[in-house]
Amino acid sequence: MTTAQARLPRSTPPAQPTEVDKQLLLFSQGVELAARDLYKKALESAKYSDDEVAMLTMFGEHHNTYAQAINGLIGKVATNKRNDALYATHVGQLASAQSAYAALQSLENTVAATNTDILGQLLGIDAARILASIITTEARMAAVFGTLPALSLTSALNSSANSLAPIIAQATETTTETSVSE
Amino acid sequence: MNNISRRDALRVGGLSVFGAAFLAACGKQSGVVGSSNILSEGVVPPTTALPAGIVTDVVLLRTAASLEYNAIDTYNAVLEGGLLTGDYAKLTDAVKRFRDDHQAHADAVNQLVVASGGKAHTCANTRIDSLYIQPALALVTASDNPDMSKDVVALAHALENLATQTYQGVVASLTAPSLRADAIRVAQDEARHAVVLAQVLNGGYASVGPTTNAATGKPNIASVPSAYGSLSSVLLQVGAPNADGVKTSLTLETPSLNGLIYDYVDCQ
Repeated sequence: MTTAQARLPRSTPPAQPTEVDKQLLLFSQGVELAARDLYKKALESAKYSDDEVAMLTMFGEHHNTYAQAINGLIGKVATNKRNDALYATHVGQLASAQSAYAALQSLENTVAATNTDILGQLLGIDAARILASIITTEARMAAVFGTLPALSLTSALNSSANSLAPIIAQATETTTETSVSE
Repeated sequence: MNNISRRDALRVGGLSVFGAAFLAACGKQSGVVGSSNILSEGVVPPTTALPAGIVTDVVLLRTAASLEYNAIDTYNAVLEGGLLTGDYAKLTDAVKRFRDDHQAHADAVNQLVVASGGKAHTCANTRIDSLYIQPALALVTASDNPDMSKDVVALAHALENLATQTYQGVVASLTAPSLRADAIRVAQDEARHAVVLAQVLNGGYASVGPTTNAATGKPNIASVPSAYGSLSSVLLQVGAPNADGVKTSLTLETPSLNGLIYDYVDCQ
């Protein structure tokens, strides 16, 4: 066994998303598009300072970027349709800045929890890597709503959001194993 | 017939004398104790090989656990040393919460280690401690540092970002999908800690996204510095400013191959 081989894990997951991975990522894309649309709706529904508008616009654009990144992972499977159930859950709470911030924090927590559950089912490592980098930023965005306009440590750090992710069995999928000989 | 000029003869002679003197200097001398660290022809110095280090899910999780203890130790040093003074003293409860969160993370990660057939690791990563944390604490607590408490927050912010990146980074290396989800759950907590500290260092709506310091051209502390979680090195500036008002910069990086907690690494 060479040194280079010794430092590698004994099996390597597939890089590309499996067919089941693509279905899970399609769900994630719908969630991201719902988040994008909710930020757009929030900006139309209440008055904010210029700095708040810049922040909310940035957050909405982040979710749009994530949806596009998922597009690149799932190719033809992509439908580019938002998750209407998630959108409907929060769209009625955007009339004032105060209620909107609470709703958007709940949204970020829900999206992060959903993507975390999806990450736990993915076999393809490329998608896992991207989703992981998305989730940490979504947790940050949720925490921002707990620190502004005033810090609430509990609100910033705690999340009791439930995942919306479906559970899809990967039983028929096979991993690409790279065995390392002794 | 060889044509050797007087100049050539002198050159060869000079090199011979220099070579002899050099070899004599390298050779054994009376009264000098030989060292196995200095290689010499014909002698094979004794070496002790490290055990083979194989990066497995267990090793990655043990490394993550070790970083949790780095954070716990740092926060304990802050609390026990009374390093948060003035307005920053009101962060004491937050620091206690962060420390307790890290203990909970360490316990949870070690449970995963044991469940995966490994041995729990319940102490800090010595390489991270010696490379980054101890030098940073020395700068922060230096008697001529006028911003000790603010620098404590900056150090904590850097460590939380480092922990976030470590967990995010291992997702690509963990082979079990369920462990990837476990890792990213912890990463989210660390990221939330980082946001709270970022708002202390550079607060307000305008500071949430990435901005640049007009004077230095360097990025300001941001709560959400980019669309995707970064895996690049973490910049930390702490300590007494120099004549130009610039603090010492430290660059923190997630554990690499020589900082992993392999199966054979034990707490001292």
